[in-house]
Amino acid sequence: MAVIHVPRPSPKAMNPNRPVSSLLLTQVKHLQHAERRLPLRYRTEIYTHAIRTEGEAATYIHHVTKAIHQAHADASGRRKEGRRPKRGKKIASAAAKPKGKVRKKAAKSKKKTGQRM
Amino acid sequence: MPTGLDQLQHIVVLMMENRSFDHMLGSLKAVDNRIDGVTDQLNNPDTTGAPVKPQPRAEFQGQLDPDPDHHFPAVDLQIFGGNRASDRQANMQGFVKSYFNQRGDVQHSQKIMYYFKQADLPVLTTLALEFAVFNRWFASIPGPTICNRAFAHYGTSFGRVDMNPFDVIEPYKSIYTRLINANPKRTAKVYYYDTTSSTMEVVNLLQNQPELFGTYEQFLSDCDKGLLPDYSFVEPNYNDHETDSGEQVANDQHPDHDVQAGELFIAEVYMRIKRNPKLWANTALLIVYDEHGGIYDHVVPPSCPPDNFTASANNTGTGMEFKFDRLGVRVPAILVSPWIPKGTVVNRVFDHASIPGTITKFFLGDYAARSPRELNADVFLEPQSSPRAGNNLLSLDSMRTDCPEFDV
Repeated sequence: MAVIHVPRPSPKAMNPNRPVSSLLLTQVKHLQHAERRLPLRYRTEIYTHAIRTEGEAATYIHHVTKAIHQAHADASGRRKEGRRPKRGKKIASAAAKPKGKVRKKAAKSKKKTGQRM
Repeated sequence: MPTGLDQLQHIVVLMMENRSFDHMLGSLKAVDNRIDGVTDQLNNPDTTGAPVKPQPRAEFQGQLDPDPDHHFPAVDLQIFGGNRASDRQANMQGFVKSYFNQRGDVQHSQKIMYYFKQADLPVLTTLALEFAVFNRWFASIPGPTICNRAFAHYGTSFGRVDMNPFDVIEPYKSIYTRLINANPKRTAKVYYYDTTSSTMEVVNLLQNQPELFGTYEQFLSDCDKGLLPDYSFVEPNYNDHETDSGEQVANDQHPDHDVQAGELFIAEVYMRIKRNPKLWANTALLIVYDEHGGIYDHVVPPSCPPDNFTASANNTGTGMEFKFDRLGVRVPAILVSPWIPKGTVVNRVFDHASIPGTITKFFLGDYAARSPRELNADVFLEPQSSPRAGNNLLSLDSMRTDCPEFDV
């Protein structure tokens, strides 16, 4: 049998500025439902009520889908780590790191930037 | 000689979006009279009362804007023509009226009757003519995407007829959970296109079992390496977006997305399986659409045994409750395998509950904790041990070597 040619879509087919469809808005709504159950550090700062285009919906869908996978991967990692006998020591050494100083430095440099302006 | 069913190890379901049977495959009636497509006798009245015939004038993009309404009340109008009497009969006479309601433009409303010429859709029509095309595969509910896709995953929508998130109610489990919890353990995966397209089953599957998911890129790789699970459910790209590898055009065929992009996607899935000779011999691919998307089809959806759930009059939006005792509008469905005789036309009734029904029966055998709808749904692959094995569509004694190839 001869090989059948499959016509390629027109270059004009791509339009991320197309108004978002009700299907994509539904998908956004379901992802928002899931996002609300994520720990705060995984959540986006995207205001879903302001999503108007397909491209904007795509950005939100991408971030939340990645976040769901990441949150599960992190939980799985912690579960595995929890089985290690030396877990306590690790936490102690992490706590000893001078995180506070780093933050102060960052705050100071911001202030300086502000003074220059 | 072993038949294809003895060889069968993988079932792949590719579920596209929102196109009716007549719209996509109706033209094939002229090629093969056994295919229940469009004829010159069919029509729908417009709002002036003039009859509008189906016409082969469908375009790939830009024609069905706004997206035709396919929520429960609109589909009720499409199927019953606006009759809400208690003794009403379905007549498929309300499609043009329904589309008119969205824009108030008589001429534009007639486009809901348009269908594609055979030459417009070389992939779908070739596969339909070369393998098994289903004359009676219906959406599970006369309603929208989410509740219809729920039937493909769970065999029920748990009483929902809308797009809202739903709760999985025990004892019913997804087909994926059934398989991975089986003894001996089976394997299953949902392949979404990529993280920017994601899945339409977020709230239960993605949120709680993200390990079930893979990307389309992984699907392609799994085909090449012979690593497909027992059961794969493939989702198309639902939106236009850019990635590091370039522009990704939506290929789900949901109006107003480009239909040719979907053709290319279907061809890619088919060819990727076919290019691995071992996989080709032991895989069956079902291509099916989740619902009709508000687009005309002429076949009256049949009644069916009710589910364990009832949607209230408030939820249906029609003023009438729904007991899940009628199927939705007919959609394109094609089963592909080199063990299927060329030109097979299937006239038995199926709906999306047939998907978990078939997968369960084929891989797990008896499994009681399923919805009434799924238990009553016909299956498209009968195990050899079944008394209905005579219905087996993979019926050839030797594999075909004349299957079509596409240049993808």
